[in-house]
Amino acid sequence: MGNLCHFARFDLKPAFRIDLDDLGVRYRKRAREVHPDRFADAGEREKRQVLEESAALNDAYQVLRSAPMRARYLLSLRDGELPLEVTVQDPDFLIQQMQWREELEELQDSADLPALAAFKQRLKAAQERLNDDFELCWQDSARHAEAVRLMRRMQFLEKLNHEVRDLEERLDD
Amino acid sequence: MALLQIAEPGQSPQPHQRRLAVGIDLGTTNSLVAALRSGIAEPLADAEGQVILPSAVRYHADRVEVGAGAKAAAAIDPFNTLVSIKRLMGRGLDDVQQLGEQLPYHFVAGESQMPFIDTVQGAKSPVEVSAEILRVLRQRAEQALGGELVGAVITVPAYFDDAQRQATKDAARLAGLNVLRLLNEPTAAAVAYGLDQQAEGVVAVFDLGGGTFDVSILRLTGGVFEVLATGGDTALGGDDFDMAIAGWMIAEMGLSADIEPGAQRGLLRAACAAKEALTAATSVVVGYEGWQGLLTREHFDGLIEPMVARSLKSCRRALRDAGLEAHEVEAVVLVGGSTRVPRVRTAVAELFGREPLTDIDPDQVVAIGAAIQADTLAGNRREGEELLLLDVIPLSLGLETMGGLMEKVIPRNTTIPVARGQDFTTYKDGQTAMMIHVLQGERELVSACRSLARFELRGIPPMVAGAAKIRVTFQVDADGLLSVAARELGSGVEASIQVKPSYGLTDGEITRMLQDSFQHASDDRDARALREQQVDGERLLEAVQAALAADGERLLDAEERQAIQIQMDELRSLLAGQDQAAIEQQIRRLSQITDAFAARRLDATVKAALAGRNLNEIED
Repeated sequence: MGNLCHFARFDLKPAFRIDLDDLGVRYRKRAREVHPDRFADAGEREKRQVLEESAALNDAYQVLRSAPMRARYLLSLRDGELPLEVTVQDPDFLIQQMQWREELEELQDSADLPALAAFKQRLKAAQERLNDDFELCWQDSARHAEAVRLMRRMQFLEKLNHEVRDLEERLDD
Repeated sequence: MALLQIAEPGQSPQPHQRRLAVGIDLGTTNSLVAALRSGIAEPLADAEGQVILPSAVRYHADRVEVGAGAKAAAAIDPFNTLVSIKRLMGRGLDDVQQLGEQLPYHFVAGESQMPFIDTVQGAKSPVEVSAEILRVLRQRAEQALGGELVGAVITVPAYFDDAQRQATKDAARLAGLNVLRLLNEPTAAAVAYGLDQQAEGVVAVFDLGGGTFDVSILRLTGGVFEVLATGGDTALGGDDFDMAIAGWMIAEMGLSADIEPGAQRGLLRAACAAKEALTAATSVVVGYEGWQGLLTREHFDGLIEPMVARSLKSCRRALRDAGLEAHEVEAVVLVGGSTRVPRVRTAVAELFGREPLTDIDPDQVVAIGAAIQADTLAGNRREGEELLLLDVIPLSLGLETMGGLMEKVIPRNTTIPVARGQDFTTYKDGQTAMMIHVLQGERELVSACRSLARFELRGIPPMVAGAAKIRVTFQVDADGLLSVAARELGSGVEASIQVKPSYGLTDGEITRMLQDSFQHASDDRDARALREQQVDGERLLEAVQAALAADGERLLDAEERQAIQIQMDELRSLLAGQDQAAIEQQIRRLSQITDAFAARRLDATVKAALAGRNLNEIED
C-alpha cells in the first residue's frame, strides 16, 4: 500500500490540472477511513499499519495540492526520481530571477507593504503562466526538456515565495 | 441480589454500558475534567460542587494537597507549594534559570536535564507535580461516573514541542491514566464550538491561558476539523499580565526588585486580583501591606500592550501560514481565562474585523471539547458520526548538518500523522558511525533550536566519503510525538529511537516515580473500592424498589414489606457516607432479607412462563 501512486490514493488519473476542491473532498473522505483515531482500540501491529497509511495519505495530499510538487511528481512517474538541486541551463529565466531578487531586496529596504503585496500578486500571475505552459507540454515526450525546465522554474518561484513570507515576517516585527 | 434482577436470557439487566472516557484540561492556572453524560459534555464537579481545580500542589511532610487549599498556601509556604508548574514541563534547567526570577523554588539537578524542585518530600519533577493534579481529576471522574476509566484525552497547548508533549504523557502515566490522545487545546475548543453550532467554514481559535498562548486556524467541513496552521508562544499568558502589574506596584512603592518569595507571591496575588477587577471596572485601588495605589484600565492596557502585540503577531503569522487574509476567517473563538481582559478582546476583534465568540465559558471549553473527542475515541459514537480531527505539528523538525545548521525534514504546520525521510551521506573515507542530532524549531542555527535527541548510527561498512546512503526517517504520530529511525541503505544497518527528549525523564527516574506512586495507589484503591460498593448499593436499591413496585403487594405481607423498607433506608443513609465496610455489610443484610421475596418472585415467574405468559407482562 505504501507504494501506491499518489493519484490512485484518491481514485484519480495522473493529471496536472486538478480540481483542488474535489481533491479536498476526496482527501477528507479517505482520511476518515484511515485516521488512527478510528483505530484507538486496535492491536499494535494494526495501529502501526494505520499510522503509515494515514501518513502516506497526508503526504500524497500535500504533493498533489501544490502545483510545483505535482508537476515534479508527474515527471518522476515517467522518468524516475529527479535530482532536487541541479544547475539549471535556463538563461532567460536566470535574468528574470535576478530581477525578482533585486526587487525583493529593495522591498526589504523600503519596507513598503503595499508594494510587497503587489509583488506577491505578480509572482502569483507568473505561477499561473507556468501552470498553463506546463499543462500544454508535460505529456508530450518530444517536449520533455521543456516540461522539466518549467518544473524547475516553478520550484524557483516556490522558493522565492518562501523568501517573501520570511520578509513579511521580518517586517511584522 | 442476583435473583432480583430478573432478565430474559441474552438481555443485559443494565442499559447499554458506555465506555467511560474523559477529557482533561491540564492548565497552567486551573485544571478541569469533563465527560459526556446523557449526550451532553459537561465538566465534572468535586464533592463541594467545584468544577475548577486550581493547578496548585502543596507538599506536606506526610501528604499532598492539591487545589484551592494548596493555592491559598502559596504565600505562606512558597517552597513547598508549586503553582504554574506547566511552565516547567519539558524544560531543561537552563530554560528554567531564565524564568528563575519569577519562581521562588529551590531547583536541584536530577539524573536527566529536567529541573527538580526541592520540597519537604524531597526532589519533585514537574512531571510528578502534574501527575498529582491528574490523579485528583481521575479520582473525581471515577467517583462521578461510577467506574474505572478506559482512558482520557489530555489537552496540551498546540505550540507545545515534543519534549513538552512527552512530559505530559509521562505525567498521565504516573497518575495511572491511559492516554487516548494528546489533543491540542485550540482544536479541542473548536470541537466544542463546532459541534454546538454545526459550523462550517474557517475558524480562528485565540487561546490565551495562564501561561501559554495558542492560535489555530481551522477549516470545518462536515464533522472534519482540519487545522490549517497554528502558532503561539509557550511562555505568554495571564501570569505575565500579573507580573506586569506586580512590576508596576514594585516601582510605585519604590521597592527593590529583589523580593523574598513569600512577599512575591503576595504581590502577584494582589496583582491578579487587580487584573480581574479591571475586567468590569475602569479603575481599581490596589493595596499591598499598607500601600495603596490606583490602577486605571488604561494604564493596565499600556502595561500589557507588548504582550498583546506579541499574541497578534502570532495570529498574523498563522494566517500567512494558512495562506489566508484576516477577513477570510468566518468566526473567531476566544478560549482561556485571560481572554476576559477587555484589551485582549478589542485587539482580537480589530485584527479579524469581527466580534469574537464567547458563548461557551472560556475556562471550560477546552475540557468540553476534549470530552467529546474522548467519547469518540472510546468508541461510543455511532458509525459515521465520528469527528475527524486533522492536526498539524507546530514547529519544524529537522537534523543537524555540517556547520551547525539545522536542516528541516518536516516543516511546521504539516498535517499529522506524517512520515518523511531524508538521505545523508558520510563525509570521511572509511567512516563507520554517524551522529544523528534531532532538532525542533524555526531557526537556521542549531544553537537556536531545541535539541530533542541525539543518537548514533554505528556499523556502517567502510566506504569512500559520500558513497554511503543513510536515510533518516521521521515519524510523527497523531499525538504529535516523534520517533526517528536511521538506516544505511546499502548494508541495511539500522538504528531507531522513540525520541527521548533531552529534557525528558530518564528510565531510572520514571521507575522511581512509579514506585512512589504505588504508595498513592493504595489510597486510590480505597477510593475506588468505596465507589464500587456505592454503585453496587445503588443498584441493589433500585432493583429492590422495582421488585417491590411490581410484586410487593402480591407476594409480601405488610410486615415483610416494612422489614425490607427499614433495611433499604439504612442502606440509603450509609451510601451517602464514606464507610465502605458498613455499606458492604448492609448490602449483604438487605440481600438476605430480600432472598425469600426473590425466591417467591422466581417461583411466580416460572409459573407464569409455564402458563405461556411473557416475563415482561409480569414485570410491567
